[in-house]
Amino acid sequence: MNVTIIDPLQGDFPEVIEEYLQHGNMKCIAFNRRGTLLAAGCSDGSCVIWDFETRGIAKELRDKDCVAPITSVCWSKYGHHLLASATDRSLTLWDVKSGEKIARVTLQQTTLLVRLHPGSCTPSICLACPLSSAPILVDLNTSSSTVLPVSVSDSGIGVLPHPRNKFADGSPPYTPTAATFNKNGDLIYVGNSKGEILIVDFKTIRVHAMIPILGGSIVRNIVFSRNGQYLLTNSNDRVIRIYENLLTQKKAAVALEERSSSFDNLQGTEKLKAVGSKCLILQREFQDAVTKIQWKAPCFSGDGDWVVGASATKGEHKIYIWDRSGYLAKILEGPKEALIDLAWHPVRPLVVSVSIAGLVYIWAKDYTENWSAFAPDFKELEENEEYVEREDEFDLVPETDKVKDYEVNEDEEVDVVNFDKDPAFSDSDASMEELCFLTAIPSPDAPEQQDKYVGSSTKVEESTHSGSPLSVDVEQNDQAIILPDLSLAEGGNSAAEETVGTNSSKRRRKPSAKGLELQADQVRKPLKKGKSSNKSFKSKNKKNDQDTNGFAPEDDVTDECL
Amino acid sequence: MSSAGESDTGVLSKLYALHQTLNGHKRAVSSVKFSPEGSLLASASSDKTIRVYSSSNFSLRAQLSLHEGGISDLSFSSDSQFLCSASDDCSLRIWDLSTYTCVRTLEAHTNYVCCCAFSPQSNVVASGSFDDTVRLWDVKSGNCIRVIPAHSDPVTSIDFNLEGSLIVSSSYDGLCRIWDSRTGRCVKTLIDDESPPVSLARFSPNGKFVLAGTLDSTLRLWNFSTGKFLKTYRGHTNLRYAISATFSVTNGKYIVSGSEDNCVYLWDLQSRKIVQRLEGHKDIVVSVSCHPKLNIIASGAFEKDCSVKIWIQRDEELMDI
Repeated sequence: MNVTIIDPLQGDFPEVIEEYLQHGNMKCIAFNRRGTLLAAGCSDGSCVIWDFETRGIAKELRDKDCVAPITSVCWSKYGHHLLASATDRSLTLWDVKSGEKIARVTLQQTTLLVRLHPGSCTPSICLACPLSSAPILVDLNTSSSTVLPVSVSDSGIGVLPHPRNKFADGSPPYTPTAATFNKNGDLIYVGNSKGEILIVDFKTIRVHAMIPILGGSIVRNIVFSRNGQYLLTNSNDRVIRIYENLLTQKKAAVALEERSSSFDNLQGTEKLKAVGSKCLILQREFQDAVTKIQWKAPCFSGDGDWVVGASATKGEHKIYIWDRSGYLAKILEGPKEALIDLAWHPVRPLVVSVSIAGLVYIWAKDYTENWSAFAPDFKELEENEEYVEREDEFDLVPETDKVKDYEVNEDEEVDVVNFDKDPAFSDSDASMEELCFLTAIPSPDAPEQQDKYVGSSTKVEESTHSGSPLSVDVEQNDQAIILPDLSLAEGGNSAAEETVGTNSSKRRRKPSAKGLELQADQVRKPLKKGKSSNKSFKSKNKKNDQDTNGFAPEDDVTDECL
Repeated sequence: MSSAGESDTGVLSKLYALHQTLNGHKRAVSSVKFSPEGSLLASASSDKTIRVYSSSNFSLRAQLSLHEGGISDLSFSSDSQFLCSASDDCSLRIWDLSTYTCVRTLEAHTNYVCCCAFSPQSNVVASGSFDDTVRLWDVKSGNCIRVIPAHSDPVTSIDFNLEGSLIVSSSYDGLCRIWDSRTGRCVKTLIDDESPPVSLARFSPNGKFVLAGTLDSTLRLWNFSTGKFLKTYRGHTNLRYAISATFSVTNGKYIVSGSEDNCVYLWDLQSRKIVQRLEGHKDIVVSVSCHPKLNIIASGAFEKDCSVKIWIQRDEELMDI
């Protein structure tokens, strides 16, 4: 991107709620790799894909079999597939573009968190963390599953032939275990109920290293930063810990193997610990010493510079943002609806949070207008400065003007065609086509208006209006009929302009609410009907941009009620 | 098509010659555009119609008429499935090119809409108007998602960069402004010491530079991150109208522009020398477009001419089209 012209002082972390998305009852969210689409799993078993640029619904993934609340959603690396887990113990893999169900697997337990294998474009293997047993690897094509080891005993660790058994007699029941893939998916990091991080080889399902966490309490979350350099754990002792990943990004499994063999003189847990100390190094701990908040949905910012954790105690919707060196930068306080999920945008300083009410809040920077961008000859000052005039500033013919014309070497070659790849996505495989956007197919004029403004007085006029050329005459007639009224109301300009205005006034309210209402939401529909039927009122106001603002307070009130 | 044969000397390896004249518009042709994949050519006119031609044999595919005012600008979606038109009836329309019907009317501007552009992802349309604002529209829902009080005078042209992250707008107020399309914030204003009305602004194909045309018969290539211009192209006449200019990159790198002396001008991008003047139109050439893959230029002219002319570089490879 053209980072060069974006003010470096703006754009660190989010500060205010920019807008919210409403559609059904959303439970969990995930951004695609580029942050262009946001997937949300709903309580009715459907998944909604939001176009994050227009903040409109790009797709709804819905199937008669999928009706149980979604617990977790995950994108495939290039965004073609979306995996959703639901409370009916199912995992459903969707093709995002076509909106069709590719695979559906029912497990023994409800999955709380799913992660698709990050290494492949069309992944069929996923990591599922069930409610009360060890994480499992599921092959979505064959429905076969492999249980991951969740604990190591002192006895014989090099040998773990039946991880299933290990689990059965190992860890206590009813403790969910957190797990995640590393960036390339060749290793799995498991956080267990004893407060240990186990590094498991994806291929052999063998534990290669173990890192005990201070305090040894149950690990609730384990998350990698986007670049794979840092790992965070969130434990029951209410501390978020940040580790630096010492393994190479590529061929991490091989690197781990090498480290493992260098400690061949050690045995069992000793060896695993020794290897572990060469894999992860504790960097920082985050906690709220006073209130001892149990953190929810901790994660890294897209660039890994910030760490975010949320608090949902007593119906709170608070988001804590630290910089990675440990300094608490910001506490964001949301509405009085407990936070249930949170995601940081992959490239922008933007956080999206889900509330218990099923709304998705978008937190963004509170951009202050950069006036020097409007007038480049103005300089913005942080504070008062004493102005020292130039020697010749008030001369009739300033000296400097004569040499002011900066030298432009117009013969210098310019390259207008080639461009650099975005460094933030340097891990892109050029041969893979990434699905960043779903084709926006314009919904036709007429049906949309019909269903949104059923109660509106313009219904007849609108419903006759369709896109086909045949209906043109009808439409024009209608507009001709309403024309005189409008000219009176406006005392305005050309006839055509007025007519057009009528239609526009109905849509204008939407931008007024800053796109909050972009989608038809059931709750407020009646209100809208009321408003839009009051047509004469609006057509008077529509001329000036103020009406945009004029409606805003009204909408705000509506928001509060919700 | 090879991109080799780039000439530093300012000499066109093969000259363009008139291939065909497309008549049919009853009034001035205001905009001509090739579709991004190259199979279609669309022209818009003050006669309130849009004509869509096949760009292989230039046969008429459809004539689209629903607008109640003259049309000023056209933009194709990236997949060439949709066409957006900006009209003096204060509205924009989105046309489905598989059925040749209007699927959406975008209304909210309070004065003539002068220019429009689909974002590269084609989920957003940006429009600039005589009401001094820039508006962004959600293509899917047809809602206006952002109003930017961009300028203090009519907006003459608008363009997205390659990634769709930036928008450039130009205006009669003498400014060229660059906007963050996601937040609507102004990120840069390009201004020279004098500020004649800016009639055109568009990003270079790689999105690193802006080509701006001003009503003092000057085209300039700006490095917008430094705020300085790199190249100046002169020789044509542009004092009154928002004449379009474009980059030609299919065979060497050139700047192509219309002119008020009824010609189409071609400059060598690097040397800034005029390499060819295409004569043939009988009135001001207000719009030009280069085929995305082949060495073809389309141009449209004002009232006394009303035609679209197709210019082709005499070249063996072109024989098979």
